[in-house]
Amino acid sequence: MNKTVSYIFAIMTVIAFALAVIFLQKDAFTLSSFTDYKTLIQLGFINTILVSIYSLLGSLVFGFIFYLLSISKINYLEALDDVFTEIIYGTPLLVLIVVMAFVIGPAFNTYNRNLMGIFAIIIYMTPYMKNVYKSAFSSISEEQYMAMDLFGFTPFQRYRYIIIPQVIRILMPPMMNNFSLIIKGSALLNVLAYTELYYAIRVATSKTFAFVEGYILMWVLYLIITIPLSQFTKYVERKWSL
Amino acid sequence: MKIDIKNLSHTYDVEVLSDINFSLEDYTSVAIIGVSGSGKSTLIRMMSGLEKPTKGQISINGSDVNEPDYKKSVGFVFQNHNLFPHLTLKKNITLVLEKTRGYSKEEADKIAEKNLALLHLGDQGDKLPKNVSGGQAQRASIARALSIDPDVIFLDEPTSSLDPILTHDVLHAVEELRDIGKHFIFITHQISFVKDFANYIIFMHEGKIVEHGKPEILDNPQHDSFKHFMKKVR
Repeated sequence: MNKTVSYIFAIMTVIAFALAVIFLQKDAFTLSSFTDYKTLIQLGFINTILVSIYSLLGSLVFGFIFYLLSISKINYLEALDDVFTEIIYGTPLLVLIVVMAFVIGPAFNTYNRNLMGIFAIIIYMTPYMKNVYKSAFSSISEEQYMAMDLFGFTPFQRYRYIIIPQVIRILMPPMMNNFSLIIKGSALLNVLAYTELYYAIRVATSKTFAFVEGYILMWVLYLIITIPLSQFTKYVERKWSL
Repeated sequence: MKIDIKNLSHTYDVEVLSDINFSLEDYTSVAIIGVSGSGKSTLIRMMSGLEKPTKGQISINGSDVNEPDYKKSVGFVFQNHNLFPHLTLKKNITLVLEKTRGYSKEEADKIAEKNLALLHLGDQGDKLPKNVSGGQAQRASIARALSIDPDVIFLDEPTSSLDPILTHDVLHAVEELRDIGKHFIFITHQISFVKDFANYIIFMHEGKIVEHGKPEILDNPQHDSFKHFMKKVR
């Protein structure tokens, strides 16, 4: 079977399974009750995308800072990175969001819970982003540095023409995977009553009582964001691989 | 070419070069041979100015290898082509020429094309290193080394990662460069190539130059380690 046809069949299989589930569950299935909440759901959808982009950018910055700590020659800074990473690896995102919004934020007189929630996602993703940088920079071999040295490239030229163009290519696919984690993780911001997609639909279903439809709708909306993203990642991987 | 090495020692964790004294004049193509770990690569890196020795001095053609300008007069071909992987074969050459040698884009293009053609890569210039064979990439890296018009070209086991056919391919291309008026210092395990191309041979063992001389020494090794080596590579 050719590849495209295989994919069409695979997608049809999944749709058939979804339809079967919808028919087999006892309640009637209709999305029409959500039309009244269209604006709310749209807002949630957009907020999910926005929050995810902020978190991505934030974690790229913090990840880079912690990457610098991790390669630091100062033992204390390296240790700091290690301790931080170990703690974050063992912390559920939900816990981090709650602690950040209700404990750490107020301790520093910050009562903007949504902001602290986003900050929690950033902090949570920081070690993962750090690893992305780490693998990207380490993939430039020592011999390449020797060659740059031999030819006499200035430090600026090395970064501008040789190091950064390579690092960006290597960094893109794992960064996009992390972005997808962020998008899904942002659903946990609902505990702060922040109107992202999950929260928006939960609010709508509490009025419509169409819980099954709500979750299916939510699921489809998340896929609408994540699948194009992962397809784009694959494209970049193919196009840019070194 | 003139090589002058005085009291050269180098230590990483263990001593890899120990107190080498050596001088040579009037040979154009010098081969360094010996088993792995004998210090060949370290020596060639010191001679090219890539690494600084722990102790001692090296001068090539009268210039100290630690002088900042020396490196710019050197062509170096690494074991693994070591092209910049995100740039096409041609761009690998033009980037160096434009940014570090001050050539205009047109001049750089011309030089790159000329040298790629010299290495039989005239139609491969627009490909990325990952899209050509290992032999082609290695030849492109030789073209890159030639492009900066070096006095001496160092080759550090340029075929160690290639299969026999590609090895022949690359070494044949190097042999064709015999008459371009460059000096070569190279490491290889291909003894037939050493016989064909080198006019002086240095045999290294455990961080020392044990024997050296014209290619005839290959047929009549004196030192035990050299005899042993020749028995293995024949």
